[in-house]
Amino acid sequence: MLDDVASVSLQTAILGLGTRQQVTSNNIANIETPGFTASTVSFEGSLADAIATGSPTAADVSVTPSNAPAAANGNNVNLDDEIVTATKTGLEERLLTGALTSKYGLISTVLKG
Amino acid sequence: MFDAINTSGTGLTVYRTWVDAIANNIANVNDVSPTSGAAFQAQYVQAQPVEAGPDGVGHGVEMTGLKTSSANGIPTYDPQNPLADANGYVRRPDIDMGEQMGNLIMAQRAFEANANLVDREAEVYKSAIDIGKGV
Repeated sequence: MLDDVASVSLQTAILGLGTRQQVTSNNIANIETPGFTASTVSFEGSLADAIATGSPTAADVSVTPSNAPAAANGNNVNLDDEIVTATKTGLEERLLTGALTSKYGLISTVLKG
Repeated sequence: MFDAINTSGTGLTVYRTWVDAIANNIANVNDVSPTSGAAFQAQYVQAQPVEAGPDGVGHGVEMTGLKTSSANGIPTYDPQNPLADANGYVRRPDIDMGEQMGNLIMAQRAFEANANLVDREAEVYKSAIDIGKGV
């Protein structure tokens, strides 16, 4: 009951967002490091495929180096993009955790009878 | 747990150290030394990414050392100076004020970006902690 596809999908997505948040903070921590290559996180496509097959835990969270053009010091972190990603990830995380709480609320209602 | 906050924390440490070094450089910009000794040497912070974990997620930035400018400084003709040698020369530090101010702005903005992220990450973790709250 607690590990139906919807709940597990939400949990997997929250995990992916957590990784994205961490990669974003690493990119910003290295915003002035010469030669640093930014990374991006993708899991949505893989999660959609995994949900379609009925096993959302099979979703893959992948960290890939960004191929954005580098500045003169070899660093390719773009602060605007990173802040946008951080903001979006924060909002999505709130949305998903809220949805998970609602899901557990339904179960709780049933349990209370 | 709360790794993203630690990652931004490494950024805060490095950029604060960078601001400290720049402040020290600018504080000493007008130092004068006799030609028999070394001029004040400006300090430059060097940093590199912290090695990524097995999942490919990086863990921030770390200082690798301090580089210093030339100890020769800029020999300057200033015969009135009590430190001047027989030919009237003293050493002044080899510090470009424009470069220092430019670096200061870079370090300050980078510090702000990291401080800002700490707030956002705290919100994210808070929402995760609140899963199931009130159920």
